[in-house]
Amino acid sequence: MDALVAQYSQPSHSAQDTTLDDSLALSSKIAPPLSLNFELPPIDSHSAWLRAMTDDHSNPQCPIKIAHGTTTLAFRFKGGIIVATDSRATAGNWIASQTVKKVIEINSCLLGTMAGGAADCQYWLAYLGMMCRLHELRHKRRISVAAASKILANLVYSYKGMGLSMGTMCAGVTPTEGPALYYVDNDGTRLAGNMFCVGSGQTFAYGVLDAEYKYEMEEDEALELGKRSILAATHRDAFSGGFINLYHVKEEGWVKHGFMDTNPIFWKTKLEKGEFSNVTSKLE
Amino acid sequence: MNHFPEAWGRPRDDIYGSYNASYLPQSRGGLQSHHQPTTHTQQPIVTGTSVLALKFSTGVVIAADNLASYGSLARFTDVHRLKPFNKRAVVGFGGDVSDMQYLDRLLNSLDVEENYTSPTGDAKSDDDRALVDAPLMSAKNLHTYLAKVMYKRRTDFNPLWNALLVCGLDEKDQPFLASADLLGTTFSAPSMATGFGAHLAQPLLRRVAPDEAATQELSKEKAVEAIKECMKVLFYRDARSMNEYSVAVIDQSGVELKEDEKLENQSWAFADRIKGYGTQTV
Amino acid sequence: MASLFQQSMPSTGPGYSFASAPTHHSSSGPRQHAFYPYTDNGGSTLGISGATFTILAGDTRSTSGYNINSRYAPKLFRIGGDGPENEGARIVLSVVGFAADGNALKERLDTMVKMYRYQHGKEISVHACAQRLSHILYGKRFFPYYVTAILGGLDDEGKGALYSYDPVGSYEREQCRAAGAASSLIMPFLDNQVNLKNQYDPASGEGLEKVMRVPEPLPQETVEQLVRDAFTSAVERHIEVGDGLQMMIITKEGVQETFTPLKKD
Repeated sequence: MDALVAQYSQPSHSAQDTTLDDSLALSSKIAPPLSLNFELPPIDSHSAWLRAMTDDHSNPQCPIKIAHGTTTLAFRFKGGIIVATDSRATAGNWIASQTVKKVIEINSCLLGTMAGGAADCQYWLAYLGMMCRLHELRHKRRISVAAASKILANLVYSYKGMGLSMGTMCAGVTPTEGPALYYVDNDGTRLAGNMFCVGSGQTFAYGVLDAEYKYEMEEDEALELGKRSILAATHRDAFSGGFINLYHVKEEGWVKHGFMDTNPIFWKTKLEKGEFSNVTSKLE
Repeated sequence: MNHFPEAWGRPRDDIYGSYNASYLPQSRGGLQSHHQPTTHTQQPIVTGTSVLALKFSTGVVIAADNLASYGSLARFTDVHRLKPFNKRAVVGFGGDVSDMQYLDRLLNSLDVEENYTSPTGDAKSDDDRALVDAPLMSAKNLHTYLAKVMYKRRTDFNPLWNALLVCGLDEKDQPFLASADLLGTTFSAPSMATGFGAHLAQPLLRRVAPDEAATQELSKEKAVEAIKECMKVLFYRDARSMNEYSVAVIDQSGVELKEDEKLENQSWAFADRIKGYGTQTV
Repeated sequence: MASLFQQSMPSTGPGYSFASAPTHHSSSGPRQHAFYPYTDNGGSTLGISGATFTILAGDTRSTSGYNINSRYAPKLFRIGGDGPENEGARIVLSVVGFAADGNALKERLDTMVKMYRYQHGKEISVHACAQRLSHILYGKRFFPYYVTAILGGLDDEGKGALYSYDPVGSYEREQCRAAGAASSLIMPFLDNQVNLKNQYDPASGEGLEKVMRVPEPLPQETVEQLVRDAFTSAVERHIEVGDGLQMMIITKEGVQETFTPLKKD
């Protein structure tokens, strides 16, 4: 009854809240910039609705094309972990960018990789970075890679079925674990391993990596192998390309080994090493 | 998530169910039969057709006919679709009549509220008195408000099925004309028309006022004449229109609203030249 | 386990093409609403950053279907500054796509930037503003804003800064970016003229000996002319682009706005 009285004792325009959630965000002083509050479409089946709007594979004419990332790899070897990615983002058949940074620097010792929805990976790895920093402040020591990847896995698992798309790897070296590598995807899968390739070009990268990989590699061999595997994927997978982004994770932290244009590397590989002999280089 | 290379990262049918195209219009590869959004919970029943408006040098003229249709039935012939808000603003409504009436109630209570909260009679200085005399909300303020109401309702998937034209004077007493529709889309132009008028009347109005500069030169009489001519053209061709209409002129002197205008000097001479419909072949 | 594989296995066709995408449109689950909350208002925007400036530009046509709603509907907005007119703003946002969402996004970002100044007593940096915009967009990950945003300003060193976004907030700092209806017409042109893609030093030899030209920040006059060329060309080949070209040039002096008429056909 009180609710009824309240409803009709106010002018009807006050009931019409036009401010969406801004007033909420502002009234709570500073809205946390990274938050878990997401607006949902006001219907029962959000994930089906969201998929209808955004799945450009099932429906190339869908209105909202989300940028997708494609080939990423990481492997453990005696000198640490090599992380390598391409840099192409596609929205449908359109190449949205050739210069995406798919290695996300979570902090000075932890790297994440981006495959799947670019925004999903950027946002959740930034969120993970925040959680890792909080862990450091609370416990006065660096977070282990196992714990960091588990935070991420638990997080995405809580959004399972909502339509997130991410296949990511967490790579880091800590004194307790040594070099540690975890694969986490939006299904909530979390796997520890020596070697992962993720994305539409994964099969091509695995092909090269499996053939040449040895745990006892030297650092320069390992870097070369990471680069060569991505090169193979950019050559054969249409959704991969652009630049090769190469990182080496050591116990002191990660080192960046360049953001290299694939095209000159491809020709160098072909002409100097005689690989890719299926491609002709004759000028007619 | 799908791990096969060609669909990598996309939702898997066995988890998400097959792709449901019923959420999308056909132009986007979907199954919805209309370009216009449709809902199963709500759809327009009693509707009004076009609203036309045109800016001139000192104000705005707006017109809409007095018909409310029930599908193809000309159901109500005395529905006034121009609603004056205060002496500086008028709103013209196209689309669903019940939603129009809801918005009208909303605007009335807003107006009452505004009059309560605005400064009252105990003016001490001339400045205060000027403030008392000034209506608090300009047409621009009103448009912003209505656009937010419309956008909020579309975000709730419960749209108000209207196309609105808000016209009048802005806070600097300059002519103001802008629209808002059921999706919350807003835009402004020297001449505007909703519904069928966007196809039939807008080209004629744009000939009179192609840009803002042209409206500065346009007299009130010319503007009213242009609008009346367009109402006539609409009546010739829009099957959901009527020959009685409302027209309002808003300028410095306030709102001049006439709600029982009739189309004059109609000429159906063009009609006998039309051939090719139905069985007529000669 | 069998049921897992009975439904459409993606490997039934040769694959690797969008043509192989499943085309059956059987709906799943109860259909409740068929309200489609988006529309596309057409138009195109572009941004190029230089050594000491950033230029954002957008055409001013607003369309729905084949109708032109308005010949002057700006897609560029000043963010921050003072009052409703954003005087003294140093950041510009351009949005293209669904105009109502674009407007809502602009108001949200503008409010955030103004609140930042009241709370911190200083202007927000473009870097921070860019990140905030990403988070605003991602906040609607499950009910996205149907917009492509580009944010421009000057970074802490006074260099031009340009950030481009996808509808759900992935972002990247770039030298140039075209968005909207004619992005596929303009972007290749910018790749060639700004990033000097596929341009080689003519003196460097033939075939595989050719040396790529190295892109450098362009002078302001060149960039302005590139923007005009990009839009006059897009107007020729895209129906949703035209009427007028609005440009905002952000330098350390502030934001300078220009308007150039485009073809109205």
